[in-house]
Amino acid sequence: MFPGWMEIVDSAVPDASRTHSDERALVALVDQYATILYRVAFSVLRNPTDAEDAVQEAFLRVLRHRDTLGEIRDHRVWLIRIVWNVVLDRKRRAKSRPETEDIADLARVLPANGLSAEERVSAAQHHAQVLACVERLPAKEREVLMLSAFDELSSVEIAAVLGVTESSVRSRLFRARNLMAELLNRPRSVR
Amino acid sequence: MTAIPRNPVNDSSARAGEETLRLIATLPAPEGLEDRIKARLESTPRRVLFWPLDWPGGAVMHGSAVRAAAAAAIVFVVAGGGWGIYTRVQPAARSNVMAMPPRVNPAGGFSSAGAMRTPQTLNGPVVTHQVNEAPAPTKEMLSGAPAMEKSHRTKATQRKQAENRSAAR
Repeated sequence: MFPGWMEIVDSAVPDASRTHSDERALVALVDQYATILYRVAFSVLRNPTDAEDAVQEAFLRVLRHRDTLGEIRDHRVWLIRIVWNVVLDRKRRAKSRPETEDIADLARVLPANGLSAEERVSAAQHHAQVLACVERLPAKEREVLMLSAFDELSSVEIAAVLGVTESSVRSRLFRARNLMAELLNRPRSVR
Repeated sequence: MTAIPRNPVNDSSARAGEETLRLIATLPAPEGLEDRIKARLESTPRRVLFWPLDWPGGAVMHGSAVRAAAAAAIVFVVAGGGWGIYTRVQPAARSNVMAMPPRVNPAGGFSSAGAMRTPQTLNGPVVTHQVNEAPAPTKEMLSGAPAMEKSHRTKATQRKQAENRSAAR
C-alpha cells in the first residue's frame, strides 16, 4: 500500500513552519512569564498546587489561540489578564474551603528571615490580620489592591488587566487603602 | 511603575498592610514550573490527522481535493453497501390471506361458552301390569330372516289355515 497512509506526519502540515514558529513563541512565553503568572495566581488562590494548575490552564488557553499570538501587542499584560480570569473562576467555584485556613497557612509561608521565634509568631499574626482585612474589602477595591502589590504592573497595566480605565484604578486604589487603614486600626468595629 | 496617590493620614497603616501583599507577590515560584508547563503543553493533542500529499506516480494533490475525494469515497462505499444489502436481501412475500382466529359466535352476541342445553322433560310412562312374554323364536327368525316378514308370514299362514278350517266346515 502507500507508504505513510493515514499516518500523522508533522512535516506534511501545510503551514507547518508557521505552526513551529508559534510553538517556539509559546515556549518562549512560558520561559519568560510563567513565574509572574504563578505569583499572580498564588496571590489570589494562596495554594501552590492550585496556582500552578491555573498557570497551566492559562497556557493551554494560549495554546488554543496560538494563531493570534502575532496580533498581541503586550504579551505580559495579555497573559496576566488570562490567568487573572482563570484564577477568579477557580476561586468562585472553590468556596468550600474556609478562608481562615488559607490565611493561616499563608501567614506561616511568608518569609521571616532574621526574626526570632517570638517575632515570627507575631509577624504571622500580623500577616493573617492584614489578609483577613483584605478579604473584607469590596471585590473591585480588593482586586486593584492585590494587583498593585506587583511592582511589575503599572496603573495602566492594571487597568488593562481588569478591563477598566486608569482613573478607575486610581480611585479604587485610593478607596482600598483608606478602607484597609480603617480596618487595620479598628478591625472589630468595621464590617 | 505604579504612581498612585496616597492618603498621608492612613499612609502608615495602609503601607503596613500592603507590605504583606507585596511579600506574597514576591514569593518565588516552585522549581521546575516552566518544565512542567512545557511538558503539559507538549502532551496536549494538537496534531491533525491527514493523508499524505505525495501519491505514487508523482501526482501531487492538494489537501482540499483529497478530502473531497475521501468524503466522496466514503459516501460511495456506504451507499453502495446499503444498496447491495437492499437488493440481495428481499423481505419474505406476504400471503394474501390473513389468518384470523375463528369466531366463536358468528352472529355476534354472547357465546354459550360450551355449555350444553338440557331441556326439561316429562316423566316417562309407568308400567302398571306385567307384559306377556315374547313368543318363542321361530326357525325363520333363527335363520336370520327379518322379524317383520316372519310375523307377517305367520299371520298370513294363520289366516289361510283359518279360512281352510271354515271352508272345511
